[in-house]
Amino acid sequence: MIDLKERYSEKKHFFRRLILICTFFGALFLYLLFKTFSLQISSYTDYELAALKNKTREVLIQPRRGIIYDRTGEIIVNNVPSYNLILNPSQITDLNNLLLEIQTIINLNDSDILYVKENFKIRSKLNRELILKRNLTKEEIARFEVRKYRFPNSYIAERYSRENLFPYLFSHSVGYVGNLNDDSLQEILSLQDLSLKETIFKYSNGFLSGKTGIENVYDQELRGFFGKKIYEVDASGRLLKEIDTIPAIDGKDIHTSLDLKSQQVAFRELKNRRGSVVAVDISDGAIVTYLSSPSFSVNKIANGLSQNDFNELIEDKNKPFFDRAAQGRYSPASTIKPAIGLFGLENNIIDWDFTIDDPGYFELPEDGRIYRGWKKGGHGKINLQDAIIESSNTFFFSLAYKSEIEELIKHLSYFGFGRNVCLDCFLPDNGLLPNPAWKMNTLNFGWFKGDTVNLGVGQGYMSATPLQLAYYSAFIANKGALNKFSFVQDDKTLPKDVFYSGNIDDKDWEKIHKSMIGVIEQPKGTAGRLRELKDYIIAAKSGTVELVSTDTKEDYKIIREEEAKRDHAIIVAFGPMPNPKYAVSVVIENGESGGSVAGPVAIEVLNSLLDYE
Amino acid sequence: MNKIFNPNKSKIYFDQYLFISISLLSIMGLLFLYSASQGNTETIIKQSLFVVFGLILMFVLSQPDPDFYKNNALFFLILSIILIFLTMLFGKEVNGAQRWLDLGFFTLQASEIIKIALPVFLAAYLYDKPLPINLFQTFITLVLILTIVNLIRVQPDLGTSLVILVAGLYILFLAGLSWRFIGISFGIFILSLPFIWNNFLEPFQRQRILTLLDPSADPYGSGWNITQSKIAIGSGGLEGKGYQMGSQAHLDFLPETETDFIFSVIAEEFGFIGVCILVSLFIFILLRCLYLALNARDRFCRLTIGGLSLLFISTVFINLAMVVGIIPVVGMPLPFISKGGSSLLSFYIAFGIIISMATHKKLMQR
Repeated sequence: MIDLKERYSEKKHFFRRLILICTFFGALFLYLLFKTFSLQISSYTDYELAALKNKTREVLIQPRRGIIYDRTGEIIVNNVPSYNLILNPSQITDLNNLLLEIQTIINLNDSDILYVKENFKIRSKLNRELILKRNLTKEEIARFEVRKYRFPNSYIAERYSRENLFPYLFSHSVGYVGNLNDDSLQEILSLQDLSLKETIFKYSNGFLSGKTGIENVYDQELRGFFGKKIYEVDASGRLLKEIDTIPAIDGKDIHTSLDLKSQQVAFRELKNRRGSVVAVDISDGAIVTYLSSPSFSVNKIANGLSQNDFNELIEDKNKPFFDRAAQGRYSPASTIKPAIGLFGLENNIIDWDFTIDDPGYFELPEDGRIYRGWKKGGHGKINLQDAIIESSNTFFFSLAYKSEIEELIKHLSYFGFGRNVCLDCFLPDNGLLPNPAWKMNTLNFGWFKGDTVNLGVGQGYMSATPLQLAYYSAFIANKGALNKFSFVQDDKTLPKDVFYSGNIDDKDWEKIHKSMIGVIEQPKGTAGRLRELKDYIIAAKSGTVELVSTDTKEDYKIIREEEAKRDHAIIVAFGPMPNPKYAVSVVIENGESGGSVAGPVAIEVLNSLLDYE
Repeated sequence: MNKIFNPNKSKIYFDQYLFISISLLSIMGLLFLYSASQGNTETIIKQSLFVVFGLILMFVLSQPDPDFYKNNALFFLILSIILIFLTMLFGKEVNGAQRWLDLGFFTLQASEIIKIALPVFLAAYLYDKPLPINLFQTFITLVLILTIVNLIRVQPDLGTSLVILVAGLYILFLAGLSWRFIGISFGIFILSLPFIWNNFLEPFQRQRILTLLDPSADPYGSGWNITQSKIAIGSGGLEGKGYQMGSQAHLDFLPETETDFIFSVIAEEFGFIGVCILVSLFIFILLRCLYLALNARDRFCRLTIGGLSLLFISTVFINLAMVVGIIPVVGMPLPFISKGGSSLLSFYIAFGIIISMATHKKLMQR
């Protein structure tokens, strides 16, 4: 037996070791509590957020895109509902049987069935819907609806497709929608502090964005705002219950100033020739007619085009995709003459009584180079008004010759040349208003006096888009003051361009109008053939764009054998006079005669706009 | 023998502090488990039966004189080793681990039995050896401990083998292992760490250690459990989300809520306050045991109480440290709280033995 003393010392020893162990565990548990404290108290917010993020899943709700109207309230682009048959897989126990039953009333093809079978399990697990068949026919919907009670876990849901009701009329003005790529989608969503995630779609085609035209320029307004549903989810991502819904805000409807009727007329009159028609309301710069021809069906583009059809469009030598109205560059040709005349008046180079003798050509004093007019033998003694009416080149050659080029350029830019004249057009081109610096920089040639002379008749380097020509026409119609062009006016204050002048007054403008009226109404006028096409007075100036410079009519006859070398036909017009409401520009590529080819189109469009049909 | 030493013939051996605190823990455990099991009544009924049976077992096991355990310690050890071998031969394999022996009415985890039997045997072996124990005895006991630890480790059950290892070492430590020996062994252990890493750890165990060091490296894979556990605990805050309101637990983000990670559920639903109360209860039980050990009648009782109570608190610590991310994830239930059969019962058995050791006094001592 161990004696008491030994027992005591052993006990003391044991006690000391116990104390050591207590200290050891005391330290361990203190550390443990400290760690728990730091998780639960110090970093509470982080972990609370993490837990919240864990258990909630946000699902985006796609907004409905705005409807696009013409100025009379006609719908141009609408959301047309289509109907899809949707299954709720998490409630379905016997898929094969269900599919067999549905097949008795709705025709399912193999790919539909394969898709459903492949995705059934995962969708079921996650409690998500599954589209069995898209675009049900009316008969299918009816057959399903009467037997609905047999299919408690399937239903028909509405999905939209974006449809332009006049797919060929508004190809370039309204444009088309297409699918969004992930990057742009991310960008759009980040505006709303959302991130890319699962979405409840309103459109069969998924995410849409405007690719061209008004659909693109007003994309943000049309698009609306994504809503979201917030679900509670478990660890496997299964939707358990809806916690909250923030409804999507549908896109705004857009009321454009486009006029369906005049658009139809323009389309009809252009007859798919290469060209363009732009007409505007001169009181506010509202674009009412906007056609680039030939056009294409925007619906085909928006709803998926076969590769063949697409290639056909791309390879079409008439370039239907090309928006000639905003991007086509044409020399303004003789249509520029009123503006040159106004320059002469403004700078006291000429007055209304000033005359020259027009022998049919202008000889550049510096080097004797000859600049020809269109009429052999010339127009004789001629003043500004007649020079406009008869389109005397010599008059304007000599006027331009006396002009200071920089001043002339500045003057022309007032009329919309060389700059953007539209607030909401899709990718408008600025055309080209050449000046000596531009020529030096791009062509490595100094500016010749001859270049200025050429500018006097709108030939040479200068080019303008049909949109700019329409602007030019409206600017003269409105006597030197004009709102910038727009498709949508709503409640915005439209910026106005005003031509401030020291020497040109109302009388001068009226005389210019009179001269341009003379182009049609005077016997000598270049567009006299248009006189019979209307019951009211129109002011106009036609132009013929030479693509190949020829000295004689015989030479032209040779080159016109090739259609692409024929002159472009241009006309700018406004009416009804004396109080014009609309201005129009018409360009027909290789149409040869501004007056007789482009002119009738302009008249028909004005007729339509003014209800003279 | 009882009759000789006790004037009262029908003396009941009972420690109210331990009995009340353990009962309290068990009842709390049932409540926690109800929440953690998403209100699974079947689980709760089964667990309640285990708790009631366990409390009775604890009471019954505290009645025999410590000599009964001392005299039969070797028998119990051999019996449990046999059970381990039987498990290795006929055991049921779950998740790649062969730890359970199907007895028809009950699946027995033999490692839970040996977890008790080894410390009791060691205490009995060291009972009459002169202290501090000599090198030979140290060697013998160490070989025994390591052999058994290795048997458990290969099942594989790293958690339990670890607990058995430390329980054995506690006994040796309390029995007065010399500091020099401790120092040298520790040195050898540190030096052999790379060897252990390469030869004794399964790949998944290595992965768990790596995960501990950086759970964010693979938050949806190997780091998932610990990441979600931390979120559960952290989002509990001071007061918790409320009973059965823990989203981490109830939406299945937390793994193993009924067993290993039940503490995360408690921390999520009862917050830091709940954690402190629970930890206090565990600490109270430890301190009560150590107090009882100090006043036990002989060395066998002291060593047994010390060994078993430290086994208990080590299990608690390993579980808690694992779920808060201090140590790697090892399979380790929270005593009296986690769902379980063998592991739950083993602690009632342990405390039954502890109470027996603490309450039986020898007249001689008075």
